Amino acid sequence: MIEVIYALWRRDMVKFLRDRRNLITSMVRPFLWLVAFGFGLRASVKLPEAGAGTDFVSFLVPGMAAMTVLFASMFAAISIVWEREFGFLKELLVAPIPRGAIVAAKLAAGSATATVEAGLMLALAPLIGARFSVTGALLSLPLLAVFGMSVNALGIVVAARMKSFEGFGSVVNFIIQPIFFLSGALYPIDGLPRVLRIVVLINPMSYAVDAVRGLCIGPHHFPIALDVAVVLAAGLAFGALARRAFNKMEV
Amino acid sequence: MNAVIEVEDLAKKYGDVEAVRGIGFSVGAGEIFGFLGPNGAGKTTTIKILCTLLQPTSGRARLAGLDVATSPGDVRRRIGVIFQDPALDDRLTAEENLMLHAVAYRVPRGERTGRITEALRFVDLHERAKDLTRTFSGGMKRRLEIARGLIHRPEILFLDEPTTGLDPQTRARTWEVLRALRRDFGTTLFLTTHYMDEAENCDRIAVIDHGKIVALDTPAALKQRVGKDLVTARSDNPNELARLLSEKYGITSTPVDGGLSFLVEQGDAFIVKLLTADRPTLGGISVRRPTLDDVFLSLTGRQIREEGAEGQFARLRAIARRRG
Repeated sequence: MIEVIYALWRRDMVKFLRDRRNLITSMVRPFLWLVAFGFGLRASVKLPEAGAGTDFVSFLVPGMAAMTVLFASMFAAISIVWEREFGFLKELLVAPIPRGAIVAAKLAAGSATATVEAGLMLALAPLIGARFSVTGALLSLPLLAVFGMSVNALGIVVAARMKSFEGFGSVVNFIIQPIFFLSGALYPIDGLPRVLRIVVLINPMSYAVDAVRGLCIGPHHFPIALDVAVVLAAGLAFGALARRAFNKMEV
Repeated sequence: MNAVIEVEDLAKKYGDVEAVRGIGFSVGAGEIFGFLGPNGAGKTTTIKILCTLLQPTSGRARLAGLDVATSPGDVRRRIGVIFQDPALDDRLTAEENLMLHAVAYRVPRGERTGRITEALRFVDLHERAKDLTRTFSGGMKRRLEIARGLIHRPEILFLDEPTTGLDPQTRARTWEVLRALRRDFGTTLFLTTHYMDEAENCDRIAVIDHGKIVALDTPAALKQRVGKDLVTARSDNPNELARLLSEKYGITSTPVDGGLSFLVEQGDAFIVKLLTADRPTLGGISVRRPTLDDVFLSLTGRQIREEGAEGQFARLRAIARRRG
């Protein structure tokens, strides 16, 4: 059982590592934000007390790490649509493997590839002048991996219902944008208007961003223990939903 | 004969559509059993139920004594499935595809590499073991899937339209491999097809149409059942010809595109008699020994593939034009 999960996980990793171009292009989005948005607004943004003294570009780095995981992990779930379209999913479903094992392997692979991309992004960020704690960044990676699992699970829930790439793309874009923009990845969440604040509070990504920011830069809004608890809970909840969606899926 | 597949009154509904309407049959160990019918007859639905991918609406199917609906896990370990469309991971190499399969089917670790090499040799792909399968042709992919079906030595191998879309040479090679599989491993083969010549390779055939089995026998016995020759006549006035045939000779004919066809004993002699005695106006006429196509026609009143009938008439027209 463990061996099957490992073999399936390894399959996705092998394909990910074979496609280097993908890894390089995945760096474009976070660095575009850091450079265009970060340097563009650096002079005009005054961070609240807790973060005072932090450079705005450095302030953005944790949000960009979480964003990298969000996009990579969500779009990794398209492999389900892909494999159904090209038939491989049938081979998996007819094999004597519990469906839970297939989902577990998918989650592990989606999260691992996304975490590798986030790690690479964090490793490259100092090149454009971002400053943050290396220890904090390393401690953030497991948390980002769990966050990636919950995002990938959400992606699987969508993918299990979608028959086409276009359908998956449009639904995912529809949910990924609010998750990203309303997570505090781009701005501190102190002093937000009430309605916006409520949305930020129910968005699990806010807690992932907050924890990574706390670990890498220092200032954070929630207790780190709460951040970790929410990210873990979201991982379990979405993981269970993904498993259910996968069980009900027909080929 | 020991039955390895037993199906009783199996039915599957998709909403209001009855894809399979109460079929029953059994397949013996080591048998090559074919499901023959046109597209949409219920072949793929049946195979998906037997492979545990679909739940039947009613009825029962047992493989090696195990119910497919209640013990899917045990059934899956004993079967191999080769789907109508390739089900390979085309961004992995041939070897990687087979290794994943070996792990999934819990082939003992020490035997994996050996079995993979052996299976690749069996289908003549051992030189391409390290190539990504996306570089393979359709025929090579199909052969690789057959190799994959061998890795875990299934008792029963299901093949859904195994040679559709392959060139004649590759089809012949695929069948060599399938026959060798039965010979060397005693594997039971269950396949679906809409190719008549492919069905000839089976020990027994179930002819399926509109979700029901309309005949089940050996290919030879099915052809014997027709017994008569198939005469196809092209005519601008098929109704008149049909009336003549039924009134004077008591023959029921079936209208086909541009004419009609009918079954008669000693067709060649009958044509001569018909043409000299009655002088009907014909655009062309042909006579053929019965094939499984005719079995299908006589059982269902339709030809299995409409384009086959058209091709035949195009030929007849060409002959008529040359003579005219």
